[in-house]
Amino acid sequence: MNEEIVRADGLKKTFTLSKKQQKIERTGDTRRVAVNGLSFSAYRGEIYGLLGPNGAGKTTTLRMLATLIRPDAGDALICGSSIVRDPAKVRDKIGFLTSELKLEGFFTPSYLFNFFGEMHGVPKDVLEVRKQELFSRFGIDKFAEVQVKNLSTGMLQKVSLVISIVHDPEVLIFDEPTNGLDVLTAKVVTDFLTELKGMGKSILLSTHIFSLVEKLCDRVGVLIDGRLAAEGNLEEVARGDLEGSFFDLYHTIKGETV
Amino acid sequence: MKLAALIRKEFHRFFHDPRLIVTMLLPGLLIFALYSILGEVIYTDEQETYEYKAYLMGSSEAVTLIDAAFEGAGSDLEWLPAEDEETARAEVEKGNAAALIVFSENFDAYGEGANVAIYYKMDDDASYQFYALVSAVLTEYGMPFAIVSNPIGEENLGMTVMRSVLPLLLVCFIFSACMSVTLESVAGEKERGTLSTVLVTSVKRSHVALGKVVPLSCISMLGALSSFLGVAFSMPKLMGVSFGFLGSYGFASYALMFLLILSVPPLIVALISVFSTLSRSMKEASAYTSALMIVSMVVSLIASFVPAMGNWALCVPVLNAVVTLQTILDGGVPVWQTFVSMGANVLYTALLVYLMTRLLSSERIMFGK
Repeated sequence: MNEEIVRADGLKKTFTLSKKQQKIERTGDTRRVAVNGLSFSAYRGEIYGLLGPNGAGKTTTLRMLATLIRPDAGDALICGSSIVRDPAKVRDKIGFLTSELKLEGFFTPSYLFNFFGEMHGVPKDVLEVRKQELFSRFGIDKFAEVQVKNLSTGMLQKVSLVISIVHDPEVLIFDEPTNGLDVLTAKVVTDFLTELKGMGKSILLSTHIFSLVEKLCDRVGVLIDGRLAAEGNLEEVARGDLEGSFFDLYHTIKGETV
Repeated sequence: MKLAALIRKEFHRFFHDPRLIVTMLLPGLLIFALYSILGEVIYTDEQETYEYKAYLMGSSEAVTLIDAAFEGAGSDLEWLPAEDEETARAEVEKGNAAALIVFSENFDAYGEGANVAIYYKMDDDASYQFYALVSAVLTEYGMPFAIVSNPIGEENLGMTVMRSVLPLLLVCFIFSACMSVTLESVAGEKERGTLSTVLVTSVKRSHVALGKVVPLSCISMLGALSSFLGVAFSMPKLMGVSFGFLGSYGFASYALMFLLILSVPPLIVALISVFSTLSRSMKEASAYTSALMIVSMVVSLIASFVPAMGNWALCVPVLNAVVTLQTILDGGVPVWQTFVSMGANVLYTALLVYLMTRLLSSERIMFGK
């Protein structure tokens, strides 16, 4: 049986809406439940995809797993460490990549790689070997001493990816990893995710792109209004047509036709 | 290890960016240039070197050193024999002599009660310069003996203003220096999302807070020092007084001043860091910080012109620094006052760092929309 690496159990997160947000969302509710009792498991060496529309709770779920925010209820174990009771330990076991987290434009990829390596407590000699390996794998070596602010979007995403895995984490959490990338860089990223999977890493990713799920994910959880609407391997959820199945599910739950 | 890396990063950011270095040091240079030019224009006819006549009572080998010091400074010095102390003092007060120096009988033997008394005229620039140079030579001459300063008359307006204004200016420059680096480093990083990237690692939040406050305090001190030196070297010219009055303070006074000043930038950096962490943008943080700066300026201004504020002032941040600095500039050596002020500042800094740590751990503050 596969080793369970991530186990989310009844995760719940509620946000308070400001007057401005209430006006934008045309609601009188002062609170919004972003994630409501979410439970799922991800196993070693698999890519687990969270698929859902904007506002479904994908990013909130990943931010809870990355320990940036605390769940109001429930817990998740990552490699046996609780995101609620032991967030610092969890942070050393995960690599988190999201467009919200930025790199300082003043520094070079080489400096930042070393800096974040130190932040994760990676020994210097290991860091040097890993830097050479990853920089050459992604073609960053030629830009290693160029300030991040002068890099192209694609190269910047590669640098962000490499820095997120500087400490060789067991679990990788990627929020919309190919958003805003050109086709070439997107391919480099998806190929690398497959490679990491081959190395026995567990990958959690959120996306609203059906083709990305079809191409990469072993199992998928469909998230609608903060709840897990469907979960299983690709064949079970897609039933031959992922996009069609998703919209059928959406219609059943929301009662709306898109 | 992680804290050291965070501190190194801030220093690297500053010392590898020529623009930041220039913006930090430029105010000092500009202040010096502007005030000096202004002073030159106003006091264009003033002579900087004097021909000194001074009364001498008693004897010491130190007199030879004093002669050498005046010769080195390009000034002529003529010793006048004093018949009695009272007449000589009256001559000094009339302005017929720069000063009266009285060596005690056993001065060179360093015996018990060895002392030298210097009588000089406070509102006479030449007399003050004489006093400053002689006391500097005697301080170097050796210990133990006491230098008894006996100022005659009232000091001139320029010096009074300088003593009142210097602490205020110092606080002002420290605040400006802290503001320019801290806003960019804390509020700027939070706004750009680069601070959150550090928070995803396993580094302790307290280390992130200290990793900002420690290096930014050091950098701010450089900026404040640049501005202060600019003022210290140019204000005497602007106010038409001798720079010598700064040389009249002993080692103890400077040591206390240094320790006191050392405790202020961390406090202000920590305060600005807290508000920067609370703010959503640099613009918001800048608005809060400007308000804080106005408050400290008003507090310092009141303290500059209200004498004898009482010991309670030592517990009020910023105010304690101004009040203690004034005591030092007035010729006092307020050891306990300095240490109480420093202690209060260190305590407030620690509390603010703790508060910043809590704020960095708050998802509403760090990741709230």
